Amino acid sequence: MTNAASPASAHSQSAKRPTLWSAGKAFQAKWLVTLPPTLFLLAFFLAPALIVVGASFREPGEFGGLAPLENLAGLSLEAYRFLLGDVIYLEIFARSFLVAAATTLICIVLAYPLAWLIAKSPAKRRDLLVLLVILPFASNFLVRIYAWIMILGPANLLYTPVAVIVGMVYVHLPFMILPLYTNLEKHDPALLEAAQDLGASAWTRFWRITIPLSLPGLFSGAVLVFIPVLGMFAVPELLGGTGDLLIGNLIKEQFLDNRDWPLGAALSIILTLLVLALAGLAAWAARRGFAGTEAVS
Amino acid sequence: MPSRQRRLLVVGALTLPWLRPARAADVLHLYNWNNYISAATMARFEAGCGCRVKEDYYSDNEEMLAKLEAGAVGYDLLVPTGNAVESLIRRGALRPIDRSLLPHFANLKPAFTNLWFDPGNRYSVPYATSITLIGYNIEKMRALDLPTDSWALIFEPKHLAKIKGKVTVLNSQRELMAAAMKYLGHSVQSTDARQWEEAKRLILAAKPYWATFSNSTYIKDLAIGNIWVAHGYSNDMFRAREDAKAAHRPFTIGFATPKEGAVLAIDSFVLHKSGQNPRLAHRFIDFMLEGENAADVSNLIGAGNTNAAAMPFIRPEIASDPGIFPPPEILARLEMLRDFEPRLRRTLSRLWTEIKVR
Repeated sequence: MTNAASPASAHSQSAKRPTLWSAGKAFQAKWLVTLPPTLFLLAFFLAPALIVVGASFREPGEFGGLAPLENLAGLSLEAYRFLLGDVIYLEIFARSFLVAAATTLICIVLAYPLAWLIAKSPAKRRDLLVLLVILPFASNFLVRIYAWIMILGPANLLYTPVAVIVGMVYVHLPFMILPLYTNLEKHDPALLEAAQDLGASAWTRFWRITIPLSLPGLFSGAVLVFIPVLGMFAVPELLGGTGDLLIGNLIKEQFLDNRDWPLGAALSIILTLLVLALAGLAAWAARRGFAGTEAVS
Repeated sequence: MPSRQRRLLVVGALTLPWLRPARAADVLHLYNWNNYISAATMARFEAGCGCRVKEDYYSDNEEMLAKLEAGAVGYDLLVPTGNAVESLIRRGALRPIDRSLLPHFANLKPAFTNLWFDPGNRYSVPYATSITLIGYNIEKMRALDLPTDSWALIFEPKHLAKIKGKVTVLNSQRELMAAAMKYLGHSVQSTDARQWEEAKRLILAAKPYWATFSNSTYIKDLAIGNIWVAHGYSNDMFRAREDAKAAHRPFTIGFATPKEGAVLAIDSFVLHKSGQNPRLAHRFIDFMLEGENAADVSNLIGAGNTNAAAMPFIRPEIASDPGIFPPPEILARLEMLRDFEPRLRRTLSRLWTEIKVR
């Protein structure tokens, strides 16, 4: 962001050209502001992540944890070889991504009209509606899942893949509604009015204006739903049947039940890499999408 | 082992801050299974010693070991199962027991002292036992003419066909595979990969008939009538039975140890090295060794008892329940789980994953 001076000034002659001195000041201020969160992330995100990477190359310890490491020759790719040489783990990854994708899609379908409705309500009522969306967070997550056990039991859906999807959608729906609402709320109604004046039908207005403008909201909502679903183990454990093992359960099992940290760490790393690749792909696709709709914004 | 349910729920309760700070000298820090020492017993101890007991809970040995491994300190007493006791001793995490501070030690049944996980009881004092067995809806089993004294009930397709979708088994690799191994006539400590493969095939053939793998919800499901057969812990079955009775259900819950044998868990008091108050911890153990106090765990929680002096205080219908106090011929066929070395753990984990996915 330090090169903000040149392209911005090209737009308008009247804009005050920032001097080198003020740019330096801004640079300093930015660092001052971003230093604490950066340090926090380094200490509590990057360092643990690196520990997990390291653990994935070690041997499991007798009591859990890791076997003592005498020298670098003790590092091995054994855990990765074990996982990649076996089609069963691939199957679990595929199934987990499928469940995450289905959950995200259903969340979009359910959340979009709701978010749109909230954004279109009178300003006074909006806060109340948003409050209602986040109200479930006031009670414990597990209590709410237990409530679903009681609802799904008599419907003969408990312990089925459907129950897992229902639980996942239920838990993650607010994470789709909120970013969508924040986005939709900011849309300028004048754009829609202009389109209407120019003869666009309701559908065209929605499809050509509202949807493209809401893509950033959709994208952040999808990320907020898709990624946590991949790691969620409580929902399949409580609502799922005999076959509903997802990657989150498998990782949890390695650390807590099976005491095989290297295998759990390797699974986590593979999952992280896959998610990063997917997020990169999505970001790239989204950027291409925006490039085509820049004229509207 | 007491109920593993509320596995995550209890965590929230643990973090409640204590309102008034007390001197370290008069607080005993106990890290225990949830619902394993009744409130009445605890109140009697606190009144007697003029101290307070601060209790934290776990629902799984692995959870407790993981927390200690991660550096949790300040616990005077833990209540691990045999294999976890052995682990803790070998790790050097325990303080030796001072027998001179335990005048009631002699109350213990000889069958539960001097066991493989702690020869000579240098570090551990047995507290209670449970059996991993089969709980069932008595009326349904009678109506469908199904055998309740054998693992065949949860493994044989010809029986399962009558109760499809009404059966749950434990979501535990060690426990479920141990049941299969017992049914096949193998030891639960076998290191023969072919026998474990055989157990896997048995489980996979039965799996389509099971409703789910459950470690906790089966208590409620049995008591409500959602399921008719559950593989689980004896004290959980006891609770399901009491719950069904209290709710005046039109059916009753029973539980029995399969004739092929099953898994026995013995939970013991041990002193953690990080505890600040070993003297008070000894006092607590000795209090729990007195017959009347030791009886509570059987009367209220339905656990088996390791204490001979407790027997006169235990309600006769509980003392005579073979699912809680196994008769000698059954006891001889029970096996305790012992830890495997890391290689075999990984192999079994692979089989378990296959069981879950196929």
